[in-house]
Formats: sequence, C-alpha cells, structure tokens
Amino acid sequence: MRHIFLPLILLLLVVFEGVALDILPSSLIDGDLMITPHWVLIFLVLIAMFYDRKDSYISIIYALIFGLLMDIAYTGILGVYMFSYGLVIYFIHELRNLLHSNIYSALLFGIIGIIIAELVINLIYYFVGIMDAEWMDYVMSRLIPSILANSIFLLIIYPMFAKRLEKWKNTKIK
Amino acid sequence: MSLFRKKKLFTILIGIIVLVALIGFSLKDRANLTTGEQFVSDIIGIMQNVISAPVKYVANIFDNIDDIRNTYEENQILREKLAQYKGLIYEVQEIKEENVELRELLDKKDSIRSYNPIHATVTARSPERWIEQVTINKGTLAGVEENMAVITAEGMVGKIQSVSKLTSTVQLLTGFDEFNRISATVSRDDEGNDIFGLIEAYDEETDSLLFKIIEESDKDIEKGELIVSSGMGGVFPAGLPIGTVKEVIPDQYGLTKTALVEPAANMYEINNVVVVDRILRSEEGEEE
Repeated sequence: MRHIFLPLILLLLVVFEGVALDILPSSLIDGDLMITPHWVLIFLVLIAMFYDRKDSYISIIYALIFGLLMDIAYTGILGVYMFSYGLVIYFIHELRNLLHSNIYSALLFGIIGIIIAELVINLIYYFVGIMDAEWMDYVMSRLIPSILANSIFLLIIYPMFAKRLEKWKNTKIK
Repeated sequence: MSLFRKKKLFTILIGIIVLVALIGFSLKDRANLTTGEQFVSDIIGIMQNVISAPVKYVANIFDNIDDIRNTYEENQILREKLAQYKGLIYEVQEIKEENVELRELLDKKDSIRSYNPIHATVTARSPERWIEQVTINKGTLAGVEENMAVITAEGMVGKIQSVSKLTSTVQLLTGFDEFNRISATVSRDDEGNDIFGLIEAYDEETDSLLFKIIEESDKDIEKGELIVSSGMGGVFPAGLPIGTVKEVIPDQYGLTKTALVEPAANMYEINNVVVVDRILRSEEGEEE
C-alpha cells in the first residue's frame, strides 16, 4: 500500500505547480523576476536521498515519468524536463554517499539539483529558440530567485517527509 | 569496472538521442496531440479543475483586502461612468437592431464579426516561464478547436494552441512569435482612413506587441489609438480589441513603420475567458 504514496504525492505536486504562480502576489510575477517552481524535483531529491537504496533506481524512474508528465501538461515540448530531471536525480543518486543525510546536505543537494536542472532546461530551450534572453539576465532574474524560492519549499517539506521516507524505505523490504 | 562505466556512458548517449528525437517530434508542425498526450492532459486537467478553485479563493482573499482600500474612490468614478453608459446602451441597442434589419434586407446573415462564445475558466498556468501558456477547462467536447481566439472582457489574450477532450492550452499574446500573426487594423470613425497590418511578435524588452503596418493611410498612426483584429486572417473574427499604440518607430530603411502595442488585457490575472468560435469559416482555415 505504501508504494502508492510516492507517485500520488508526485502527481499532486505536478498538479499544484500549475497553480503555484497564482499563489504568489501578482506584483512578483508581473515584474522582471521569473520565479520557477521545481517542487517535483525537490521531492525527487528527497526520494533519492532517503528512500532509494544504493542498488535501487526508483527515484530515477520516477524522475523520468514525472518529468515527462510536466512536459506534456505544461510545455508541449516533450523530453526536456524528463531528460534534465532524470540527469539531476542520477547525479544526486551517485553523490549522496559523500555526505550524511541531514537537512544541510538535503539543502545542498537540492540547490545543486535546481542549478543543474535549470541550466540544462534553459540550454535546451536556448538551442531550440524558445529562450532568447541574455545569460547574465537569466541568472539574475530567474536562476537566483528560483533557487531561493525552491529552497524555502525544501525547508518546509523536509520535516514532513525525511523521517517518513526512511520509514517507508525500511518497510519496503519486509 | 570499465564495463560498468561503458554502460553508463551508453545510457547517457541513448538518453540524449531519445531527447533529440522527442524534441524534434514535438517541435514539428503537428496538427493534433497524440492520444497519450490528450489522455495525460485530461487527467491532470481534471485534478487541476478540482484544486484551482480553492487555491484561487484563498489567493483572492489577499487581493480583496487590497481592493477594499480603493473601493471608495473607484465607486465615485464608476458612478460617473455608469451615467454615461446608460445613454450609450440605448444607442447601441438601436444601432444593433438597425444593423440586423439592414442585414436581412441585404440577405447577408453572418458577418466576420459574429461568433459563438464558449465560456471557460483558467485552471493552471505553465510553471515554465519561457512558455507563456495557460490551461482552460473546456476541450473538444465543448467545441473548442485549435487556433480559435481567446478573449477576456478587456481584450484578446491569446489563441488555442492544442486541445484535448476536456481541456485545452492557450498560447498567450506574450508568447507569440513569427509563426502566430494576427491581421489587425486601427479602429477609426471615418471610412477610408484605416491602417492595415500584422501583429508580428511580442517584444520582451519593451513589453509590447509589434504591429507592422502594411497599408498606410493619409492619416498617420498616433499614440493611444486602439488596435483591433481585422478578421482578414480567416480565423479570428473582426473587432476583437488587442491593445493601444504606445509608440511608433520606423524600420531600418524608413520604408515601413512599426507600432508598439500595449496589450489591452492583463496577461497575469486571467480567470475567466471566452473562446471565440467564428461563425463564418474561411475556406481554407489556415493559421494566420
């Protein structure tokens, strides 16, 4: 029964990202700042850190599936989120043994994940011709605000899910 | 160990190939979404439908507090305007009736102005900010088709980009590029002074639409004039307000002029929209 929780939470996050921009005050959206929610990615990072084992790749499979869902639902250009989320979670999955799993390492991995994902997504969009801003402007108006906003999200959901994910991981074997 | 590394490299290479193939597939000019995509958009659309109402309600509470502060001033202005409108409404009714009668005389029932409205609610906005796209809760079942214009009370906001059974995505004016042109005109009282042109793209730097003038008239285009769709493109009906002229700039060679048009509708606070189904279909129904 427990296996169904993770996909359900991820699916809910995909849906919530669609209304995420309505929650923010419109002066923030109307202006130059381009805050982009990456809630699915943050949760996937937590899954990769706390739920996955060294030899299981559940987080990467989820990253591919829900990245594709994001592509279908919100951009119409397939493969971009799927590839970048998959890549990021793969990195995190490999790197996570370097540090103990606690809130600081989660924050660090979350920030690294967002930076890599943002850069890969925007590099692809740049080549496809969708993004046409200067890279400097991009870093100031989109990358840094997005990192800050998503870090806040990570700090909110970390206490709710870190212990729980580990518990689910241990019940998985029985 | 080396075998393992090779395997990793191999996986990443295959990943990149799949990525390029998928992007190529989705960027090519395809008419319809695949069944799988429609299915996924419908499922997510249904969930968004359920979630968006309470979320927007909570978000609106904060807006409402802001609004209440300005209520008194606005009320004064609105009362004055209301008095003016009463006279106007009567006039419009008379003119409409007369128009219908005259059309019957001419035996020409449908004009390029008339359309069937399909009312819809915005349920989600794409979190990817480069892609200016919102999702609405009406799809092919309600009669929505690709390339229909989407308007709010203030003016045009975009056009339908793709449809599935229960939802469809709207490309906002702010996301328009060279592939989405709207034939437009300047609304003027007197006959023969019309300026025709095309809304070509959205310019990020000046936050305005570029209106390239094709057919000049004796009277130059001026700041503050209203740009409306002309209906000549074959898809959008005529007379949908698009925006007001902010500035006029000559092009590189000084032969034509481009007007910077500020969109009439606010692209960030869209809740209820009307999908415009033009009654008079053009023969080919091509994209404008």
